[in-house]
Amino acid sequence: MTSPAEGFTARPIPARAGIGLRSEHYQDVVASRPAVGFFEIHSENYFGLGGAPHRYLETLRTDYPLSFHGVGMSLGSVDPLNEAHTQRLKQLVDYYQPDLVSEHLSWSSLNGQYFNDLLPLPYTREALNHIVDRVQQVQNTLKRQILVENVSSYLQYTHSTIPEWEFVAQVAEQSGCGILLDVNNIYVNAINHNFNPRTFLDGVSARLVKEIHLAGHTVNEFEDGTILIDTHDQLVCDEVWSLYRDAVRRFGPKPTLIEWDTNLPKLSVLLDEANTAQTIMETLHAQVA
Amino acid sequence: MPRLRELQQAFGSWLQFDDASEIAALVCANGLAGNRRVQIYRNNLLVTLTDALRAVYPVVEKLVGDGFFRFAANEFIHHYPSRHGNLHLFGHEFAKFLSEFAAAKGHAYLPDVARLEWAQHEVYHAVDHAPLAPQSLTAIDPDRYESLCFTLHPARRLLYSPYPVVRIWEVNQPDFDGDQTVDLSASGNCVLVLRINGAIELHTLARPEYRFLATISEGKTLGQAVEAALEQHRDFDLNHYLAKHVQNGTLVEFNLA
Repeated sequence: MTSPAEGFTARPIPARAGIGLRSEHYQDVVASRPAVGFFEIHSENYFGLGGAPHRYLETLRTDYPLSFHGVGMSLGSVDPLNEAHTQRLKQLVDYYQPDLVSEHLSWSSLNGQYFNDLLPLPYTREALNHIVDRVQQVQNTLKRQILVENVSSYLQYTHSTIPEWEFVAQVAEQSGCGILLDVNNIYVNAINHNFNPRTFLDGVSARLVKEIHLAGHTVNEFEDGTILIDTHDQLVCDEVWSLYRDAVRRFGPKPTLIEWDTNLPKLSVLLDEANTAQTIMETLHAQVA
Repeated sequence: MPRLRELQQAFGSWLQFDDASEIAALVCANGLAGNRRVQIYRNNLLVTLTDALRAVYPVVEKLVGDGFFRFAANEFIHHYPSRHGNLHLFGHEFAKFLSEFAAAKGHAYLPDVARLEWAQHEVYHAVDHAPLAPQSLTAIDPDRYESLCFTLHPARRLLYSPYPVVRIWEVNQPDFDGDQTVDLSASGNCVLVLRINGAIELHTLARPEYRFLATISEGKTLGQAVEAALEQHRDFDLNHYLAKHVQNGTLVEFNLA
């Protein structure tokens, strides 16, 4: 990475489908330049200071808008914000000028130890105030708006007092951030915690939603029950596509990302999924128009 | 109602010390027992961190097999917890851990293979640096050469092993289809790990050449580096090795001590 002064100019992400950029696909993507609306990267994969990741990203940045999606900031932890982590993100954001920068409504560290997972917050006033404050700190450091994503969860805390959708909406309303609505996570939580996923959609206003995520999950059967795990390792299922159609009807077309992290298939599979999302947006939008 | 800090401490105790006494009581059963639900998070964490180690140490994994690797990873994660939100920084103590891991004592070369793989991981992500213009050295008075201090490219690592680690690494690559036999009594390796156009390469160095670069990397002068090389072999050809490592981009800067 060279100096930020030689960086890129802003390039807005259209309300179209995009895919996650993974190192296994670097050469294929650079050679074929697929017709996607944008690429999303995991910010931490570019925390290294040089080498191939930055060469590929710089090449693609000239032709595509980017979204930076973080998994390691631990926004909801009671530890102080990790200054080194936010400062490195700021360098990357200043240089690459991504149109969207997002993180998760979760926590992953305590007393300096990291659990490297997206652990759920309790949905309480205290947690809401805490995370609003943290989001504002990050926005002040980065000098820009960020988006926060609703996470999948496999448990609910007995002392939560606020429905998840209200918590997510309130974080955005109070901090000025946007919402990255993960439709697969809504579906996973609806099954795991037994609520109607449409209630979640109805609880969020369209102006707050700046991006949508779609991914595949895994069904785990236990002798005493079933639970869905957010694994990002397979095709988006029919129920999630159906919920996505409802989301597009409610929120209008939004930048929509196909996420795939484990057992990565060849690029064409991701592009087919993105194409499905694109077609849904165009079909529903044409009906409205 | 537990405070956010108390909740996170209870969750952390479970993930770190296997103590579910507090967290299970804070979780709704709702069809699936609370301890089953928190168990999912422990499993996920173990899988995430094990996969992060797998990504950096594929040859170690191949050498010991999947079962042993998972066992070793489990122990490692317990003794060397993650300290960063960036998973690429996790696992640098794996070689040290393996050297102390009783169950791996039968594979004395494993820690060195791990060191070699971590060196490649670091080199892959290291900062870029422009090469040294060859003519820049001609401006220096030859009488002052011996007090030159060179800097190695940030994407370079030097490593010595008493085992033939380069051969071990090569025969365990996915696309290797030759004779897999490794003679462990063969002489050890002096290795330069380097990045050329983004790709990682392993170069085996002669012993004096290795001492030469290692001495430079300690911040010593060219004169001291030559002295160290001559201790290994009295015919050390400075001009040859200096030109070679300027050309391959290993020596990228110099100043006069």
